Formats: sequence, C-alpha cells, structure tokens
Amino acid sequence: MTYHIPALVFLVPFVTAIGLPLIALRDERRCRPAALAALSVMAVLSLMNLGSVLSQGEIRYAFSGWAPPVGIEWVADEIASIMVVAATLLALVSVLYSSPFPIQTLQGRSVPYYSILLLLVSGLSGVIYAGDLFNIFVFLEIVALSAYSLVAVPGGRALVSAFRYLIMGALGASFYLLGVAYFYASTGTLNIADLAQRTPGLLESKAVIGGLIFMFIGLGIKMALMPLHAWLPDAYSDAPDTASPILAALLTKVALLVWVRILFWVIGVGDAEQPAVVFSLVWVMGALASVGGVVLALSQTEIKRIFAYGGIAHVGLVLIGVGQGSHTGLTAGLFYLLNDAVMQCALFLLAGVLVHQYGVRTLDDLKSVNVSSSWVVGAFVVVAVSMIGLPPTGGFFGKWYIVLSAVESRNYFALAAIIITTLLTLAYFARVLERMFRGAPKSPQVPDTPLSFRASVAALAAAIMGLGLWSDRIVSVLLEATRGLGQ
Amino acid sequence: MIHTGHESIVVRRSAALLIPIMQLFGLYVLFFGQYGPGGGFVGGVMLGASLIAGILIFGPDGQPAAAAKKLLKTDGLGLLIFVGVGGLCLIGGGAFLNYSHMQLPGLDGPTRRYVGIILTQIGVAADIAVAAVSIVFSLYAASSDEVSNG
Repeated sequence: MTYHIPALVFLVPFVTAIGLPLIALRDERRCRPAALAALSVMAVLSLMNLGSVLSQGEIRYAFSGWAPPVGIEWVADEIASIMVVAATLLALVSVLYSSPFPIQTLQGRSVPYYSILLLLVSGLSGVIYAGDLFNIFVFLEIVALSAYSLVAVPGGRALVSAFRYLIMGALGASFYLLGVAYFYASTGTLNIADLAQRTPGLLESKAVIGGLIFMFIGLGIKMALMPLHAWLPDAYSDAPDTASPILAALLTKVALLVWVRILFWVIGVGDAEQPAVVFSLVWVMGALASVGGVVLALSQTEIKRIFAYGGIAHVGLVLIGVGQGSHTGLTAGLFYLLNDAVMQCALFLLAGVLVHQYGVRTLDDLKSVNVSSSWVVGAFVVVAVSMIGLPPTGGFFGKWYIVLSAVESRNYFALAAIIITTLLTLAYFARVLERMFRGAPKSPQVPDTPLSFRASVAALAAAIMGLGLWSDRIVSVLLEATRGLGQ
Repeated sequence: MIHTGHESIVVRRSAALLIPIMQLFGLYVLFFGQYGPGGGFVGGVMLGASLIAGILIFGPDGQPAAAAKKLLKTDGLGLLIFVGVGGLCLIGGGAFLNYSHMQLPGLDGPTRRYVGIILTQIGVAADIAVAAVSIVFSLYAASSDEVSNG
C-alpha cells in the first residue's frame, strides 16, 4: 500500500481539479470546500509517505508497471518527501487563509480558479517526485501554465505582468528543454539514476557542458536568479492576494530544487575536479543575486515588491550554500530552501492581510493606519526575525549552516556576501517595522481580524519557530539523505 | 470572426454531407490505433475539427455550435475516464495504469490490457476534441466583446 502513496499524492488534487466543474455544477460555492478537502487528503497522504520513506527507505514508483528507463519513474526519497509535505501544507494554509476574501473578486470564475490552483499543487508534487529530466520539464510546464493564469486573474495591470511572465517562462522552459536534448544526445538516457552513472565521465564533452549551461539559464529564469528575475516582482505583486502566497512560496523553490538535483545527483557524483568550475559559477551568481536582491528591495516602496525582492535575494543565499559543493553546503542549501518557502508564504500572506484589513499597499499607506491586530504584528515580527536570521527561528539555523559551509571551504567572498545580505535585510525590514510601529494614533477603527487570517499567520509563525527549534533533527535527516554527495 | 455562417449553398450542403464522414473517419482512426498508426490524439483532433468545421460553416446559431456548447460542459470528462482506468488498476493492486491489474469482472489478462488501452484512448480523444473546440470558442469570445466562459 505504501508503495502507491506517491502516485496518490499527485492524483488526489489532480482528479479534484478536473472533476471540479462537475462538483460545482449546481453551486459555485462548493469549490473552496472541495479544494480544501482535496488538499487535506493530500497533506495526510504526503505525511504518510514521509513516514514510510523515513522508516523503510525511498520508494521508486514505476508508472504502468514498466521498469525504468523504459517507463516513467518517480523517486520519493527523503528530500522529495520532505519538500512535498512542505508544499502541500503551505498550499493548504494559503487556501484556508483565503476564506474572508469575498467570492465576488473572482467574478464567477471560482471554478477555473480553484481547478488551476489544484493543478498547480499537483504539478508541484510531480516536479519534486519526477525521476527523469524530461518529466521534470513536463511538470514544470504544468506548474508554469497554471501560474501564468493565476497571476492574470485580477485583470488590468495583472494581464501585462502575466504576459511578461508567460514570455519569460516560456523562454526558460525552452532553454531547459534544449539542455535536456543535449544530455539525451550525449548520454542516451534521461533517467536521473542512469545519468548519474554516465555523465561524470562525459564532463569533458562540449555537448554536456552546453546542455548544462542551457539548463542553468532555463532554470535560472524559473528560479528568478538575479539578472533573469525581471518577471517576478510584477507577477507576484499583481497576482491576487489569495494566490500570491502559494506562488511566492513554491514556484522559484521547485526550480531551485531541480537545479540542486542536477548539480548533485547528476553531475556532482564521482569525478571531483571537473565540476568545480560549475560550482564556482553557481556560488558567484548566488552571491550577486543575494546582494543585488536586497539592494533592490531597499529601493522599493510597495510592500509586496519589497518581499518579492527579498525572495530573490534568498534564492541567491541557497545557491551560495549549494555552490560550496560540500556535503554541509548541500544540506544547508536544502534546509534554507525549506525555510525560505515557509517565510515567503508567510510574508505574502501578511501582505494580503494588510491589503484586505487595512487597505495598505505601500510603505506610505502603512504610516497612516494603526495595525492593531496583535496576531498580525506578532507574526510579522517572527517572520522578520527569521528573514534577517536571528535565533531561535528557522532562518537563523539555515543561514548558520550556509555560513558554516562557506567557512569550511574558506570562501570569504561568499561569507561577505551573506553578511551584507543579512545587514541589508535588517535595513529593509527596519523600514517596514518603523512605519508599522509608528502608526497614526487616531486611525479609523478596523473590524476584527477574521479567524482564518489569525489561524493561518499563527500557523506559519509557529512553523518558522518549529523549523528553528527542531532544526537539528531536520538537518540530521537531510545530512543522512545526502550522504555520499558533495566533497 | 464567426458572426454568421457561410452563405454559399454549395458549402452548406457539402459540409452537411462531409461532417458525418469526418466524424466516422475520426472514430475509425481512434479504434484503428489498436492495430496501427492512429489512436486517441489523432482521432480526437479529427472529431474536434469536424465540430469546428460545423461551427464555422453553420455559424454560432447553427446546430453544430449548439452541440459544441453542450460538449464544453463535459470538459474534463475524458481525463476522468483516463484517471478512472488508472484508478481501477490501482485498486487491482498494480501500479497506476498497469492494465493487467485492471479490475473489470470476467476478463482475462490480455483482454484487460486490450480494454484498458482502448478506454484510455477514448478518454484522450474526448479531451482533445473538447480542447480543440474550446480554443475556437475562446478566440470567438475575444474577437467579439461577448464574454463566454469557454
């Protein structure tokens, strides 16, 4: 039974997504409960999957009974299972949080909206589980197509952002596919386990190097790596407030995870000398992205855009950790990726609450209102502390391991980049917090924060604290899962 | 784009003759996929194209357009058939879409594979046909400012 859980994790939201027009045939208001039920079942299944993977080892699921490399294979190892749990729970929290938003904002389009949201979540689980490079492409496209249409939901300016995102995203997907074709031409396989045996001897080949570069550019666009990030701030700030938490939490992170997989599971095994160039490229790009991201975040006035640039900087931090090429660096990168997904989700959720409760979109708006809800302010402080990287939050421990890996490999430039990023993150959060705490004393009375807002921000703040307090256990699981990878 | 149908009587009469033949051929290709080139995707495209031809020639008020609008309501039914077959295999204890484990009473192993493949092909064909028609309707809605939920 446990063998089939990875397929079921994907199928539950997928079947609900395509059955939603039938479920909501009579009454549109059934969409949200149906989506919630599907995501809850998915969450339970993904937790069961994690439990069985941790106790009995990884699951390799061969679709339709055809053994790989002929058939399609899904690999549910420890890392994939942890990431799917995170993705599912974050999606569940963001749908739970969306209840006070009036259904009229969707203008009678709630059936397609929730269908696409569920397709996005099932696509995410597909990207994380997929065991070969081509299926990763297919699921990345499912995720991307759903994301384009979710961004475009509000209409108006969002249409332009969504179109820009569509062009950039299609370009990224084409580059990635081109890289996959180069790999297939030179190795004759796309299965990650097979590639791991064949590519290390082929790293001299220009076709493999070219394929690697194409894949890096393609995934770089998808993960919003610094010079290729232009689509992200517009797309995330114009997306509907109900959808932006899940988009911000997971879109760039899955592309990053795919890149980490290629780096360590495909080319990083065996021959230690050759990939050194690739790894230095990765951490240098990461350092540029992290410093550039925070500098741009400092110059923004719109709250959602500040958070979007903060997310771009954090992608860079993960790459710094991964680019050290060491076992510690890989673990640090993966742990920080997990933390960053939760933090980004929390930030955009809080930005949505500020818009919905207080009508605050920019920093100047924040000056003229009094954010009275202790839940919102408390959660905001926890997320800010974690983003800056202070104990006892998850962000601190993630950053700590990245610093550790940089020190281990005596990479002081990377260390400097991390410190600059930390200080500038403190600076842009200080700008937000200063305006939040010096709110106007005589602002109009706002209605009480709805229960679902309070519950969702509290859940995410608790998750951030939990990731910090149990960081040693999570990191030891990750260390065990990545044993033998990296130098 | 398609505010009225085509006016020429020649086009209308020949379309009335040809569209059923196109549909029949689409079905033939769909089922012939068991033995040779063909199958769900191509058959579905042909079925969809026959409906699109009907919409273009008989106009948005014609009978094919009305049938296509009804068909749009079943969007996703094809995928549900596909997933349903996969689910029957899962229930039978095999991997998703492993037809030899499909739980249909009174069938032996080879027949199960045969029936499983033909059912998934029908599902694929239905979905492709609906998708093709829905593309035409959304282009139509974009060209005349009329909003229809395609």
